[in-house]
Amino acid sequence: MIMEDKSITMQPALEIHDLTVAFDRKPVLWDIDLTLPQGKLVGIIGPNGAGKSTLIKAVMGLLPLSSGYVKLFDQPIDEVRKRISYVPQRESVDWDFPASVLDIVMMGRYGKLGLFKSPRKADRDVAFDCLKKVGMESFANRQISQLSGGQQQRTFLARALAQQADIYFMDEPFAGVDAATEKAIINLLRTMTEARKTVVVVHHDLQSVPQYFDWVIMLNTRLVAVGPTESTFNQHNLQETYGGKLTLLADVADLIRRESYPSREGSNR
Amino acid sequence: MNDLYIIITASLVATTCALLGCFLILRKMAMVGDAISHAVLPGIVIAFLVSGSRDSVTMLLGAGLIGVLTTFLIEFFHKKARLQTDASIGVTFTWLFAVGVVLISLFAGKVDLDQDCVLYGEIAYVPLDVIITDAGSNIGPRAIYIMGTIFIVIVAFIVLFFKELFLTTFDPAYASAIGISTALWHYLLMGAVSATTVASFESVGAILVVALLIAPAATAYLITDNFKWMLIIASIVGILASVTGYYLAVWVDGSIAGAIAALSGVLFILALMFSPTHGLLFKKLKASHSTAENSITQPFSVDPADSR
Repeated sequence: MIMEDKSITMQPALEIHDLTVAFDRKPVLWDIDLTLPQGKLVGIIGPNGAGKSTLIKAVMGLLPLSSGYVKLFDQPIDEVRKRISYVPQRESVDWDFPASVLDIVMMGRYGKLGLFKSPRKADRDVAFDCLKKVGMESFANRQISQLSGGQQQRTFLARALAQQADIYFMDEPFAGVDAATEKAIINLLRTMTEARKTVVVVHHDLQSVPQYFDWVIMLNTRLVAVGPTESTFNQHNLQETYGGKLTLLADVADLIRRESYPSREGSNR
Repeated sequence: MNDLYIIITASLVATTCALLGCFLILRKMAMVGDAISHAVLPGIVIAFLVSGSRDSVTMLLGAGLIGVLTTFLIEFFHKKARLQTDASIGVTFTWLFAVGVVLISLFAGKVDLDQDCVLYGEIAYVPLDVIITDAGSNIGPRAIYIMGTIFIVIVAFIVLFFKELFLTTFDPAYASAIGISTALWHYLLMGAVSATTVASFESVGAILVVALLIAPAATAYLITDNFKWMLIIASIVGILASVTGYYLAVWVDGSIAGAIAALSGVLFILALMFSPTHGLLFKKLKASHSTAENSITQPFSVDPADSR
């Protein structure tokens, strides 16, 4: 019995086997094989066109797989939809849509409600609670077209939180967000992983990787490396991932060695 | 009494179309509504040939299927043949519409349909086509019963599945991620648009039904920032256009359907001018107000940046 309990808690959050995704026969992801443990804050990094967003979309079944399969918590995706949450790229929706911030956050409750049921007060309370967590409670009735980029991002985050899922996929949640909001979001993600939630984030800024993520997936169509950040995020793997494209590489490696991270204002992004 | 019958029919058509139109324009699919309204023509003719009558469920189903086929073809051409969306809409509906025109002319003798009626409708004939019960009493025009049923079905559809329709309209990727099928709701909605178009075509015709699908919804979009209110306002605009359109047509002795569509356009322009949130006049007032403020403060300004 004890063994069994252990095996459940040690269940991987995500397993990807031989995953290939192609658009028009051109592979965007090639033969990806990886396993992520639960309760980690995981960054997906790689150059533009490396297939970072494609990877999370494929995992969630939003794109057809050319080959391979994906398991979440040891089950096929459709069995565990209620445990999965997604923060799409901010630009993927029309922010002129006639809806309020609360309307959007309430969408996070729809999956749990199922057909024919309308949201109840308990759902509204959860939504408000999540707005509070992202510091947006005073914007609940604000029209979404009036939000700034950072506020839009936090609204999406609150919607994902309202799902009370176990694994979260986030597509560039820091894009167009100011430094203070980014800090607040990362702290929030930390408290989530402390509660054994798994958070997978598509990320662009290499400088902040060691500071933010427990684990890192380094991707360039193929999987270059996956593992704990301190052992995986090294110069060799960065070279492999970005090739010669990144002149900043040496600097980054330098930073990792010194293990001191300058403030973001000082970085030449 | 005839006036009332016509106004009720027109209002039922207008509100049903307006409700669905709200979803269409927010999904950026206004032209798909246009396409469906034309493409159902062969469905109508074929269903008519098969069932031999005009008021059958077969006709609604036949046209509904063709409507869904239209959206499927549009997506197929767009995704598989990599045609632009507008080009694939253009190819699909004109082709299906043309097939319908050929079918009508081919079976002109057998089919009690004529092209003018299909294109422009004739709502003035609504009071003539009444249902007589077995007992021999007149219980009112057939069109009101058909449109009334469609109206109730569509309202029930929107109320019962509001969550799903709202979410798949706003953020389809997120909807699929949490297990709400975007394809299912897309095709159900398109089926609803098709059925509505078919039920409406006799009264307002294939061309004008597009005006009722889009104009009231676009008007409501300019007036409110709340989706539920958008649905309500669009319906009110539809009714308003029907009533005023009818009396306009009586006054100028012109086409009723044409007058209704024309007035829904007029209401749109009024909203464009005077809407409190998006209206041009209001924006202009706001702009002139702020420049007026600037002109007051400017003489006292010592900010060197102002001289630039």
